[in-house]
Amino acid sequence: MHHTSARSPIQTPVVVACCRTAIGRSHPERGLFRQVRGDELAAAVVKEVVNRSGVDPDTIEDLVLGATQQRGELGGNVARAVVLLAGLPFSVAGTTVNRLCGSSLQAFSQACHAIAAGAENVHVVGGVEHMHHLPMDSAIAIHPQAFARSSRGILSMGMTAEHLAAVNGISRRTQETYAVESHRKAALAFDHGLFEDEIVSVLGHDEGGAIVEVLEDQSVRNDTSLAAMAVLEPVFLPKLGTITAATAAPLSDGAAAIVVMSLAEAQRQGLEPLVRVVGTAVVGVPPAMMGTGPVAAVRKLLTRTGIAIGDIDCIELNEAFAAQALYCIDELRLDPARVNTRGGSLAIGHPLGASGARILTTLIHAMRDGELSLGLATMCIGFGQGIAVLVERIKA
Amino acid sequence: MPASVPLRRTQTLTWLENGVAMLSFRVPDQSHNVLTAEVLSDLAATLQDLLAGPVLQGLVLVSAREGSFFAGADISQLEQLPDQPAAEIERLCAAGRSLFGQLSSQPWPTIAIIDGGCLGGGLELAISCDFRIATTREQTMLGFPEVKLGLLPGWGGTVRLARLIGLGPAVELAVSGETVDGQTAVRMGLVDACVVPERAIESAQRLIAIEGATRGFLKRRQQQAAAIDLDPHERDFLFATSAAVIMGRTGGHYPAPMMILETILAGASQTAEAAGPGEGEAFAKLASGPIAAQLLRVFRLGERNRRDIGIDSRNAQTPIPRAPGQAESQGYSARAVMPLTRSVIAPAVIGAGIMGAGITASHLRAGFSVMLIDLDPITLAKSVGGILDEAAWSRATKQTDSARALTLAGKLQTSTQLAAIAGSDLVIESVLERRDIKRQVLAAIEQVVRPETVIATNTSTNPITRLAEALVDPSRFCGIHFFNPVRRMTLVEVVCGPDTSDATIAIAVAHAKRLGKCPIVVRDSPGFLVNRLLMPYLHESVEMLRGGIEAKRIDRVARAFGMPMGPIELYDMIGLDTAFYAGAVLSEAYGDRIEASPVIPALVRSGRLGRKSGTGFYQYSPSGGQRARIERPDEGVAELIAPYALPVRPMTDEAISNRLFLPIVLEAVRVLEEGIVRDGRDIDLAVIHGLGFPAFRGGVLAWADSLGVAEIVKRLEPLADLGARMHPTEGLQAMARTAAKFTQL
Repeated sequence: MHHTSARSPIQTPVVVACCRTAIGRSHPERGLFRQVRGDELAAAVVKEVVNRSGVDPDTIEDLVLGATQQRGELGGNVARAVVLLAGLPFSVAGTTVNRLCGSSLQAFSQACHAIAAGAENVHVVGGVEHMHHLPMDSAIAIHPQAFARSSRGILSMGMTAEHLAAVNGISRRTQETYAVESHRKAALAFDHGLFEDEIVSVLGHDEGGAIVEVLEDQSVRNDTSLAAMAVLEPVFLPKLGTITAATAAPLSDGAAAIVVMSLAEAQRQGLEPLVRVVGTAVVGVPPAMMGTGPVAAVRKLLTRTGIAIGDIDCIELNEAFAAQALYCIDELRLDPARVNTRGGSLAIGHPLGASGARILTTLIHAMRDGELSLGLATMCIGFGQGIAVLVERIKA
Repeated sequence: MPASVPLRRTQTLTWLENGVAMLSFRVPDQSHNVLTAEVLSDLAATLQDLLAGPVLQGLVLVSAREGSFFAGADISQLEQLPDQPAAEIERLCAAGRSLFGQLSSQPWPTIAIIDGGCLGGGLELAISCDFRIATTREQTMLGFPEVKLGLLPGWGGTVRLARLIGLGPAVELAVSGETVDGQTAVRMGLVDACVVPERAIESAQRLIAIEGATRGFLKRRQQQAAAIDLDPHERDFLFATSAAVIMGRTGGHYPAPMMILETILAGASQTAEAAGPGEGEAFAKLASGPIAAQLLRVFRLGERNRRDIGIDSRNAQTPIPRAPGQAESQGYSARAVMPLTRSVIAPAVIGAGIMGAGITASHLRAGFSVMLIDLDPITLAKSVGGILDEAAWSRATKQTDSARALTLAGKLQTSTQLAAIAGSDLVIESVLERRDIKRQVLAAIEQVVRPETVIATNTSTNPITRLAEALVDPSRFCGIHFFNPVRRMTLVEVVCGPDTSDATIAIAVAHAKRLGKCPIVVRDSPGFLVNRLLMPYLHESVEMLRGGIEAKRIDRVARAFGMPMGPIELYDMIGLDTAFYAGAVLSEAYGDRIEASPVIPALVRSGRLGRKSGTGFYQYSPSGGQRARIERPDEGVAELIAPYALPVRPMTDEAISNRLFLPIVLEAVRVLEEGIVRDGRDIDLAVIHGLGFPAFRGGVLAWADSLGVAEIVKRLEPLADLGARMHPTEGLQAMARTAAKFTQL
């Protein structure tokens, strides 16, 4: 999948459609999706993305969904359940993958690898998470010896981010300034209708319990400020910490889906591809350095594709924590003006398994709107991993 | 049959088949195996003998005591450490390390069978062997409780543990002092297998056969001897996060946890051999410091309390009343070895309010069937859900175990009729804190129950003597004062009135222990013991508020002293209305020292009742209930205090601290002088468990001794103008002159 390689159309993965739900807060009383199941959110975006793409459903081979909490309503290989819920033909297979926060970017990457290998032709990929119904810290029993080379503290992503902030001198104020900016950009994008195309209408419930059409991300605020953030207590490290609810991504519910196929198949079906996939990379880092994952993953991807960071026009860097995003921007020398131009997960929300497909969806729409050529989506992943995907816009 | 040789006083050697020897430990004159000097010297001699003898296939270490491997070091030897020079302590550590080190330098594999408690030095011994097999027995618990005594594992434990299970997990285990069972231990890699007790020896032999054949034990030895290769990022993260957690938990008052963290990390980068002396040095530093000495003493206070039957032995032969016609064999006898401890079988609780419900739940938790009475059917019905929730609460899962709740529901009987307690042998009355009501209820109880039934009242403010007047037979009556919340507060005051019999006290004390509580016997006096010591402290904090000292500052000084929260926060927690009533009782009794402060009723009148009303001295965040965060001092309070303002006194933090804590010492001295407690040690135990007085200071009397009585008197001098409450008693002045001490460490 290299940039320069002259890959045959049958082995060139392209995206023909992508969409997402608005992201709800995971809140038992106020969450817009508190009465909507995660699999329902997934089915809604899968159904819609197939419709929008115009792909012949009988040609879809597999549905690959990312989800980090694969139990309850997202258990038992939820991807296959979503095939049935979304009314896709029985012939569409389904598999659910888990790379924690990178799950749906992983779903996308492996579909691309299969196409690039000439093994598969048409996939629907995506991700889903319902952090209210399926909290991330329950029903997990990691083997204690898995901590023998690290420590149990790595289970707290917040502590790893605190550590990153402390070691790199990223002040609370700097983090808050970054978070305010994330909200400002997202609110502005909503004001200008920039999310209209990517967000699929789903019914949820407002605070009073009445149904409501959910079209806007619930956590985005247009009224936040440094002063409002300054009064919050540190959440992970009482008193001493620098990270508060404002500078950590909110717990969220949501889903996103993408249709990916070979360029040859898109042409055969008369579909207009949006982007070509240039390359992907995953990497492991010390678990305590979880937040640095994107740095290692992006470096690997750049080496692999021969592309320089300066050539990339648009970057979606998942904001698990402001501290971690700031570290990556600094370390990779990213141009802040090209990063998360429509706000990031600090504002929009971070439904873990859905976030990869969410940022890729936002990236592709931003590239389309801005007629930008090269786009990068990258994320940090708990337990010390990074993932990155590079795409190139196909000019219509 | 394998031959067994009683080799030495503490050890027996048994020859198993295939050249495997088994060394069994039984330490005489101790209830558990502990690592006495004799055990260590015997072990050294035995290892010498074995080396000189025929080649073994392996050596198995096992305890000959069922349900216990080694409970740890010999506490009485630890107690002597503070008097020894650091170099001598380090020499003792080195000797222990070297002896234990021999267990993994034998020509054959060594293996410990851990079938029962394996703590502290016992676990150091076990992890010095090449392998370990734990059993599934309930008593099989492994851990390093040294930290709770202000110490660290000093016989190579920190060094070996980190190599065995990894740095992070080692820090976690040794810093927390918590224990793990056999199954958990095998998952952690602390032991190599966990089997049913009866297959342990067989399993050990199999492991020896496998490891002997593959020479796997030599690989293990290499791993245990080498430095630990840890990613520097992980190392820094481990240190930073652990240090933050430790500082959060200890407030910097307890040096051992931090020392353990530092010792484990420092030892990791060296070979085990090189790391040993650093551990010994750290151990010596802790062992010769004042905090370990205090914590050891507090540990001893707890042990003493567990053995104390609540009455002095000279009275222990007093016969207890027996029902007419009841045969001696039916439960208790005046001639039995411990004639006064009769087990309660059918307890009853009267009153289903917060305290009654808590007391009932603690009975269910302890396995009792209990009868709960409340005349109001609605209160009664409402209380049941909460009682079962609390009784079936699982600390492990942090939620109610619903299956257990269902079982316990069968053990909880409720009735609105007092007649239902006719068969009870202990009745705990816990109705409203109103003397007239309590007296009525107590008299009614006496009408219903059998003559030998013990009747107790749970009260914090009513004199037992007054309540006893309501009874025909006051000898069977006492106070059992539980603290709120009952599930968390282990302290219980058993209060005796002038007529309370020894038998009644002994039964109440034994019963409190069966509830898992720590009972202290006190003579009836207003406020009993704990509230009497608490009130001068609370009172003084409000006096300082009136003198213009900020609430936050007072609380900060108290926390810095080591209290879990400051007095002003505590007022809000207790509830200002509750504090007002309790204060009124005490000021009536001790008016010369504790005047009823006008500030508290002023706050109550303004609707500031503390946490429960969202505002008291402080304002609380609207959500969070009892855990709500303090948002800021309530601005209206200053206005309420203004009419009662006292002359402003410039105060240093040290002066604030003296004003808060010296009155507790003075009150404790009066308690001693009045003979309210049977032993001064009870005071120290009570303030630690009942007031949260810092354990590292050893309790209020131990703290006084650490300053010296003369110093206490000196510090009181500049406060003398505050009134009688700051004046030393004559007894205290006499002690100051003779440099006498309250306690003996």
